[in-house]
Amino acid sequence: MSKQNRKFRARGAALAALAGLGLALTTLLLAASTVNVSETGSSLLYPLFNLWLPAFHRLHPNVRITTTSSGSGTGIAQAVAGVAQIGASDAYMSPAQMRQHADILNIPLAISMQMVNYNLPGLNQRHLKLSGPVLAGIYMGKIRNWNDGQIAQLNPGVRLPSHSIITIHRTDGSGDTFIFTQYLTFSTPAWKNQINFATTVSWPAAPGNIGAVGNPGMVDALKNNEYSIAYIGTSFESAIHKDRLGTALLKNRDGNFLLPTARTGKAAAAQMVSKTPKDERISLIFAPGRESYPIINYEYAIVSRRQPSAAMAAALRALFSWAISPAGGNAPRYMHRVNFVALPAPVVKLSQAQIAEIH
Amino acid sequence: MLFRKLMAALASIVAIVLLILVGFLAIYAWPAIRFNGLHFLVKNNWSLGFLYSDPILRHGQQVMPGAHYGILFLIAGTLLSTAIAVLLAVPIGVGAALFLAEGVPALLRPWLSFFIELLAAIPSVVYGLWGLVVVIPFLGHHVFPAMQKWLGFIPFFRGPAGSGYGLLTSGLVLTLMIVPLITATLRDALVSQQSHLRDAALALGASRYEALWTVQLPGVRRVLIGSSILATGRALGETMAVLMVSGNALNVMPNNIYTTISTMASFIVSQLDSALTDPTGMAVKSLAEVALVLCLISIVVNSLARVLLLYQDRMTFGVI
Repeated sequence: MSKQNRKFRARGAALAALAGLGLALTTLLLAASTVNVSETGSSLLYPLFNLWLPAFHRLHPNVRITTTSSGSGTGIAQAVAGVAQIGASDAYMSPAQMRQHADILNIPLAISMQMVNYNLPGLNQRHLKLSGPVLAGIYMGKIRNWNDGQIAQLNPGVRLPSHSIITIHRTDGSGDTFIFTQYLTFSTPAWKNQINFATTVSWPAAPGNIGAVGNPGMVDALKNNEYSIAYIGTSFESAIHKDRLGTALLKNRDGNFLLPTARTGKAAAAQMVSKTPKDERISLIFAPGRESYPIINYEYAIVSRRQPSAAMAAALRALFSWAISPAGGNAPRYMHRVNFVALPAPVVKLSQAQIAEIH
Repeated sequence: MLFRKLMAALASIVAIVLLILVGFLAIYAWPAIRFNGLHFLVKNNWSLGFLYSDPILRHGQQVMPGAHYGILFLIAGTLLSTAIAVLLAVPIGVGAALFLAEGVPALLRPWLSFFIELLAAIPSVVYGLWGLVVVIPFLGHHVFPAMQKWLGFIPFFRGPAGSGYGLLTSGLVLTLMIVPLITATLRDALVSQQSHLRDAALALGASRYEALWTVQLPGVRRVLIGSSILATGRALGETMAVLMVSGNALNVMPNNIYTTISTMASFIVSQLDSALTDPTGMAVKSLAEVALVLCLISIVVNSLARVLLLYQDRMTFGVI
């Protein structure tokens, strides 16, 4: 190898090193100007966040958001502790928690619904009728067989199997548990007195009951266990269809049996808009009205009004403002995909006022 | 001299860490211990109470209304799943070790041993995932219904056969996790055993099986007990794999071998987030009490095994 050649090589190597260094520096500088937001919590909201993120990222390339599905309990806990900037939750925080964490806001981003699903061979294509008291009886272990008189009474003419009911419930702290147990609490005095509602409740010892983690775990457990019953967020409706599982008609406050659809969800939301307080912490469960589906709820972002940096606060305000806008994240093309209901205009206003408090 | 002191210091760190750990747990859990009393160990009613109401004062402690913590079902789930695992793993582990030490052609021996050790190195979450995806559907749809049919005359095997999640599945997954621990240790002991005792036995006319059973195996009895203790400890504390296959039952005592259960270790993981939402903190403190009880159970099991070893030694040397 000639001397000249070697020199060139050395120079080339030096240049490459410089270029590498330059690249590294640029990446660092770019990284410094990007804001990293982490969101965790509700597995019901998770599919929607995954639809939102690419669209939002195109508008705000400097905001990098990571999203994980860990359950509403974790969402609240991590947002309160400051581990995650956004805690996603189907449940609003309790009054006692709010007193302890005065800086935390509960901002509705959309309205979701919950299905009651079952895996009954031969009956999955029929919509069985179920009511709060019957579901409470099933989950309390008082109604143990599918052909129990109380279920048969709601479903005349349906050949119900003589098989024991396997109840599936969430074991992680779950907003789905919260809204499901609210439905049972508001409709069934016995449930209210014994168990009540929370993100985790003391499930009565129904024999053969199964605990599952997250909505995906619920779908899986339901699919794998014939004669089981579960409560699952509507953002998993396509999974329920794909696995050919059944969805129940639920009895509402007015005594009508309804499926979770955009129409029945909207009807229930319309009943509750005027009752929503300024801090937006309210249950929408078991709303009055002929066409009101009984289990709908605000999907909350649990977030601190005091952020460590102005850049973070601006990023969060931008994200939430876009998410609740009917032209942005609440647009029908997102809501349809997960079977959510867009926030009614007065609620958008309330959420906007809360978003403005983040600084 | 300096070296010896250094070694003494290093050795005592382990003991001190253990003491600090248990001490910390006890201090942290103290309000829960006082609030729960004996109720904690004998009742099946773990409930965080009504979290959306205001805290009340009970037994001098701030708690949520309706909160009570009874973990008998966790103790039962932990001990039963561990018992199943150890009962199955010891004979399998011993058999595998004997086979590896004596039965396998010399050419294959290092390979098979390597695989056994590899099995011990697999992270428990992998066992859990495999259990969830493969074992549970298979057991739930084929094995358990058949067992219920053919073994139903034994009280604890009577139906309903359940879903595949539960006590027996947890026990089986735990078995697979601890067999390699026993096999690997025992095989090493058998191989390193001096051969003259066996040779003497064979020379006296003992068959190969008799030599194994009466001479070689008794020689590694201490190792067998020691490795079984380690395995028991691992099974008692196993968290992730059990969390994924146990069914995470709450407040239910297992009434047959197919029932869904929870173990103490997996319960702490699955309930921590919910517990953190309790504004009074009593739920997390009660989880710390669960951890404390788990520690105590492990210590008791270990101590029992020590006593067994001591007794063994006395027996052996007494005879000689």
